[in-house]
Amino acid sequence: MAIKIKNLYKSYGDLIVCQNFNMTLEEMKITGILGPSGCGKTTLLNIIAGLEEYQSGSIQGLEGKTFSYIFQEDRLLPWSTVKENIKFVLESRYDDNEAERIANQYMDMVGLREYAHYYPRQLSGGMKQRVAIARAFAYPADILLMDEPFKGLDLELKTGLIESFLKLWNQDKRTVIFVTHDMDEALSFAHDIYILEGRPLRIKDRGAKPS
Amino acid sequence: MKISTILKNKKTARLLVVIFWIAIWEIASLVIGREVYLPSPLNTVRALLRLSVTSKFWYSIAMTFIRVVAGFIISCLGGIILGIMCGLIKFLYELLNPLVIAVKSTPVMSIIIIALIWFQSGRVPVFVCFLMCFPIIWTNAVEGIRQVNRDLLQMAKVYRVNKGLIIRRIYIPSVTPYLIAGITTALGIGWKVTVAAEVLSNPKFSIGGNLYGAKVYLESSELFAWTSIVIILSFAFEYLFKYIIGKIERKGF
Repeated sequence: MAIKIKNLYKSYGDLIVCQNFNMTLEEMKITGILGPSGCGKTTLLNIIAGLEEYQSGSIQGLEGKTFSYIFQEDRLLPWSTVKENIKFVLESRYDDNEAERIANQYMDMVGLREYAHYYPRQLSGGMKQRVAIARAFAYPADILLMDEPFKGLDLELKTGLIESFLKLWNQDKRTVIFVTHDMDEALSFAHDIYILEGRPLRIKDRGAKPS
Repeated sequence: MKISTILKNKKTARLLVVIFWIAIWEIASLVIGREVYLPSPLNTVRALLRLSVTSKFWYSIAMTFIRVVAGFIISCLGGIILGIMCGLIKFLYELLNPLVIAVKSTPVMSIIIIALIWFQSGRVPVFVCFLMCFPIIWTNAVEGIRQVNRDLLQMAKVYRVNKGLIIRRIYIPSVTPYLIAGITTALGIGWKVTVAAEVLSNPKFSIGGNLYGAKVYLESSELFAWTSIVIILSFAFEYLFKYIIGKIERKGF
């Protein structure tokens, strides 16, 4: 079932973030959400993830769904190793052996197995973001949300991360919603693209890529 | 050998600094020339040796030690538990904060005198130690909880990590450095205020009671000897605490 946002209204005091906002997000596809900084993209993502409340409207297709979220920052526990960081999101659902096995599998996929016992401060920015990507995929989520996951990384690194991302996605397809303000990035791997503007948030344009 | 080469060895350097200040002490006492005002280091050591053969000396140290440990442990438990709760629940913080501020601004002497009215002499120092140490540990615990990274908590929420794991893996590692800082400060203060309270409450066996006795009989060398005992014990306590923390940190949480 697709995610259907209907008549969404959200404001912070006098500041209206979105009003009468409607959007449909396809299941098992990668949807790119483009828009200028500050138009309310991150708020939209946080509302979908359940991290922020909205005043009125409805979102269908999220009941009982689980989420993974790749934030702008890596958000790794600084006092835990790469492996411990991935296991952290798994331990509430699996026993230790299973969590260990899954963590190892995803560390392999992002090519960080030999760094399993490194702490985040010992890794480069790109490596940390790869750990965050591995963590997001290792978690059995139905919907994967990404908020400018490649922001501030150089082109080579970005291409590499997008490659690892697509490799993971092809092996394990999920509904992906990602926010960016980089058109090339969106075109390079989204099936469906929404171009938003704000505020209040509205859809300016929509484009689909033949997949 | 040049002074700079000698000073390169840290332990030698430290020892030389200690010897330097003891020499200054010796010279000062020679200049003043009156044992009542400033006993010489040698006489202080002699007084210490004279005292150390009596059983009262060891009993006094043991009793003061127990009081400091008791006051300190109560402060730690109370400070950590209530501090964490107040860090998490704003209402509880608002309720407790004025009381803690009041206690913090109360002169130690007022607390000791009030405690003298309330408790029997042996318990006064424990109570005073608690009142002085608890606010420090509490304040640090509250601050530690407030400094917990909201982004990490949000991340844990999205991934539906259960409460126990969030406490163990996010809250505790964030709060620990604040607690260590608070506890270290409280340790040093704990010794000083416990002994101060003993001076006024004068329990049967106590370092403070002996300090008071030495002052009454103008036994300055004994006064200095007891004071040096407090300094040594306080120092040893802090050293031991840091050593234990170091061991735990190396093993990881």
